[in-house]
Amino acid sequence: MARVKVKTFSNIRAVIGAEVVEVEVKKPETVGELFETLYRKYGRALKDQIWDKNTGEIAPFLIKLNERIIRSTYDLDTPIRDGDEIAIIFPVGGG
Amino acid sequence: MAGKFKHGGYIGQLLRVDLTRERVRKEPLKEEWAQDFVGGAGLSARILYEEIPAKAEPLGPENAMTIMTGPLIGTIIPTASRSCVCSKSPYTKSFFHSIFGGYLGAELKFAGYDGVIIRGKARKPSYIWIDDENVEIRDASHIWGKDSFRAQKTLRKEIRDEEIHIATIGNAGEKGAPYAMVLCDMRASGRGGMGAVMGSKLLKAVAVRGTGSVTVPDKEKVLEVAHRLNHILKTTPAVQGLSQFGTPRGVLALNEAGILPTRNWQTEVFENAKRLSAETMRERVVKGDRACFACSVNCTKYSVVPSGSYKSVINGVDYETIYALGSCCGVDSIEALCKADEICDEYGIDIISAGISVSWAMECYEKGILTKKGTDGIDLKFGDADAMLHTLEKIGRLEGFGALLAKGTRAASEIVGKGSARFAIQNKGMEFPGHTCRPLLGAAVGYATGPRGASHHDIRPTGEKMGLVDRKNPEGKGAYAAEINHWLILCDSMLLCHLPETIWGPIKISQNVIDALNAVTGWSLGYEEARRTAERQWNMIRCFSAREGFTREDDQLPWRFTEEPIPEGPMKGSVVPKPVLERMKDDYYQYRGWDKKTGNPTKEKLKELGLDFAVKDVC
Repeated sequence: MARVKVKTFSNIRAVIGAEVVEVEVKKPETVGELFETLYRKYGRALKDQIWDKNTGEIAPFLIKLNERIIRSTYDLDTPIRDGDEIAIIFPVGGG
Repeated sequence: MAGKFKHGGYIGQLLRVDLTRERVRKEPLKEEWAQDFVGGAGLSARILYEEIPAKAEPLGPENAMTIMTGPLIGTIIPTASRSCVCSKSPYTKSFFHSIFGGYLGAELKFAGYDGVIIRGKARKPSYIWIDDENVEIRDASHIWGKDSFRAQKTLRKEIRDEEIHIATIGNAGEKGAPYAMVLCDMRASGRGGMGAVMGSKLLKAVAVRGTGSVTVPDKEKVLEVAHRLNHILKTTPAVQGLSQFGTPRGVLALNEAGILPTRNWQTEVFENAKRLSAETMRERVVKGDRACFACSVNCTKYSVVPSGSYKSVINGVDYETIYALGSCCGVDSIEALCKADEICDEYGIDIISAGISVSWAMECYEKGILTKKGTDGIDLKFGDADAMLHTLEKIGRLEGFGALLAKGTRAASEIVGKGSARFAIQNKGMEFPGHTCRPLLGAAVGYATGPRGASHHDIRPTGEKMGLVDRKNPEGKGAYAAEINHWLILCDSMLLCHLPETIWGPIKISQNVIDALNAVTGWSLGYEEARRTAERQWNMIRCFSAREGFTREDDQLPWRFTEEPIPEGPMKGSVVPKPVLERMKDDYYQYRGWDKKTGNPTKEKLKELGLDFAVKDVC
């Protein structure tokens, strides 16, 4: 089991209710399992923000794992370790 | 005219205003041009290629401008709320389309026009009053010299209609500042100096009242597509944050990822980003949400600072304000940014170019290149909100040191010298928006080759930020950038807002775009035909630039982006080495079927796209 800190912003933070939450991820200790854990903890409201309703797939975005940037599209099987910090970086293009 | 035009959604009529001869004429829109170039930027590029002679002086009477809508404008297709002001830019010296949101475009359609072509120069300050079929060129001497908001207020009172929609220029446009903007109600047609073009024609404003409607061939079909698109908008994760937080929703995330440009791009991590976040903004200044015509997203935030030296009432602030006047100037007060936004609107100056000109000057000051003597006594340190605001006012008035910065960073750095061009963050004279490309190679080649210089609406960084492609690998990035160009220009001809981009792109033209276009016009374009239309539009714009003398040598990135890696954060070390950029440019020109040596379209490509008329000018 790995305890990781998850940092979120704007609409995802509005659902989670805090800037940083600590989450316990059971095996397999991967980024993908972390998102499943978050879904179980925060339910439908979070799923609507992270999974695409129209495709059923996790939306494409970047993830900061400690100081490394990885991708939700390809890197969900990246292992996570106790004490890791993750930030969800949703795509924005600006106006 | 409505109903008689071959293609749905169009009125089929343009308004031509000759300010020199004081004549107004209605003329039919060419059906084949509508089919080939759609509307907005694409159609304007075709029209202005004819209207503006090669090498015309942008602020001379021979330059022409358009205010253009498109077939979807005035319908219920969501986010089809934009319109554009187009001309030869005094800033970039080529074709420029400057898009604005709000209601003016729909009002113009309801008045009975797909667009307005404006030529010549008035004898005295004037404004154009479009009241359905009645169009007048009126005296504007009494509002010349008034700021944008006061001018609008005066016209509404004078015309006795609070609901008219008005495009105005401020002091900067009147005085020909090359990045002066046009304020359309409270929305900006911000970039490229369209306000200076209006000012050079002594045209203070265009006011519109329309009571007509737009005809489509199959109302049920349009309703069905609009309903489906609204559902997608509501349920797409990447769009949802826009409604609640507006464009600043990404400030903290960008900073976390190490891509929030800071202190004139010396770094991309801002230590005080929290104070400029959408969350802080919502808590401290936002009083309500507003939407453009036919848009269900409501991303505009209405903000008020009720008292004190930053007292202001604005639509915003938007992300670009937070970037250009906030993190890039090291300023961390959201209230000061509200005031800065209001100043830019009042004087009519582009927030991005003004902000990055101030941040460039702050870096000059930090390095001792500029001293208090050169800044009219302003202690122009990064992080000093009052110094930033004071400088903005001077830019708006073109006064002293402000007149230098009103020229933009390219021209100002040529005057100041001492190596300051190295940190002028511009391409083709236009300053960069707040979306980095040092870690995003696709965005890098897109910015470099962009016809408008550094515009985040000729390339989008989003596909790479979504992880849809490998951002670090230069292979294939020429093709990647070209297909992003295509969905952007097609949307800019349909005047769809780019912000919910994941449903229109994000890396090639999506079926949603084609469905919307087909439903309104009655066309039955497939992907390849839609792509070909977009390619024709993009080539048309490139022909305009080529005729002005632009070549691949003009497709560059700022020195800082090719030579100075990001110094800290998760993207530390990211840079776009020149040889890599040149290789990606080769890839881009080759994919487009352009001449790699000149970077311009070939005879074969122009003939293939039906642009034969441009061969003599370009090849």
